[in-house]
Amino acid sequence: MPFQLTIVTPQGSIFDGPVENVVLPGSEGDFGVLESHERLLAPLRIGNVEIHEAGEITYAAIADGFAQVDGDQVVVLVESCEVDGDLDVARAQLAHDRAEQGLSELGADADEKRRAEFEAALERARNRLTVAKRG
Amino acid sequence: MPNLKDIQRRIASVKKTQQITRAMRMVAGAKLRRAQDTSTAAKPYAEKMRATLLEVGRVQKDAEHPLLKPHEQVRRVEFIIVTSDRGLCGAYNNNTLKLALQSISECEAAGCEVLITTAGKKARDFFRTRRPNQMGEHFAQDGWVTYGQASEIGRLVSARFTAGEIDEAHLVYSEFFSAMTQTPRADRLLPFTAEDDGSESLAFEIEPNATALLATLVPKAVDVEIYKALLENQTGEHAARMAAMESATRNTEELVDSLTLQFNRARQAAITRELVEIVSGAEAL
Repeated sequence: MPFQLTIVTPQGSIFDGPVENVVLPGSEGDFGVLESHERLLAPLRIGNVEIHEAGEITYAAIADGFAQVDGDQVVVLVESCEVDGDLDVARAQLAHDRAEQGLSELGADADEKRRAEFEAALERARNRLTVAKRG
Repeated sequence: MPNLKDIQRRIASVKKTQQITRAMRMVAGAKLRRAQDTSTAAKPYAEKMRATLLEVGRVQKDAEHPLLKPHEQVRRVEFIIVTSDRGLCGAYNNNTLKLALQSISECEAAGCEVLITTAGKKARDFFRTRRPNQMGEHFAQDGWVTYGQASEIGRLVSARFTAGEIDEAHLVYSEFFSAMTQTPRADRLLPFTAEDDGSESLAFEIEPNATALLATLVPKAVDVEIYKALLENQTGEHAARMAAMESATRNTEELVDSLTLQFNRARQAAITRELVEIVSGAEAL
């Protein structure tokens, strides 16, 4: 029995449809959700979402957020989400290179915050590239 | 008696202005629609966010987060003032700025130090001359509002609040009701509170625990609040500009009408005068 999966970002809803199984990157590790899962609120890390619908698997790259599982409905709230297929590989590669370059240019005494920003950007870009390769 | 050439020149110039205002009205109309779409797209996220935050509060009453905790004494207050970058939108920005100035004065009367952060050139220019020593960062809005801009502001303000540099943060912006009405409002952003809508608790299981969830949830909720203010302001700006340009276009129409009338009168007077001159010239012969 499929259940409803909704992925919502500030830019609008990215995915909304019935799915059979979804694997989410929880902050404590990946977890799968099947129908009638217990009610659950869990934070998510930057990672891949695996969406199983009608025998097909779709991958999506998400930035951190959280998931709300409620019986026949799963709502994923994230700041950004790109589903494989709509994913702009060239842009992801560009972001990846830019972040990498930024990191290497930072000296050892660089501001911690700047470093963290670059690292987060690099992680997001890597994540998007992984999705593009898997899909 | 203005001469015919002068009136003609003025009519031509007013008509050119009219072309500009009419074009601006149409551009503002198109942008208003786009801004409204963006606002609508952001709504579900904001609503779900608030609902979840409330839910966490219900499930675990003692869950804490530094952004939720009021400071014991309020000494330093930060105002985040959101306006548009551009003018030509009637009294839109002035209304917001007036409210901002009033709130700031009240705050200062209560003995608080005020720090001013601005988003939008109009706010920066307004306060740069009036309160040069209290200016904090300015965030440019170039082009369309993005979530990234909002979270940048959110991160900075939250960091200051957590570090104890400020004890409260207020957000001043214009709320969009309809194409005709936008109302300025000032809301307290930090310490953050989620409005309780009285809906029932669904008793969620929280993993790994409520405090860890709040740590990701609360900063995002603050960002969303700022994002919403930026979007409201953006929508309102285009609506206000549309209304302003609409009335400007109407005014130029009236002006052209009255100038045309004046022109015709002057032309008729000139013809009459010439006739009289010819007739009296003929009589003299």
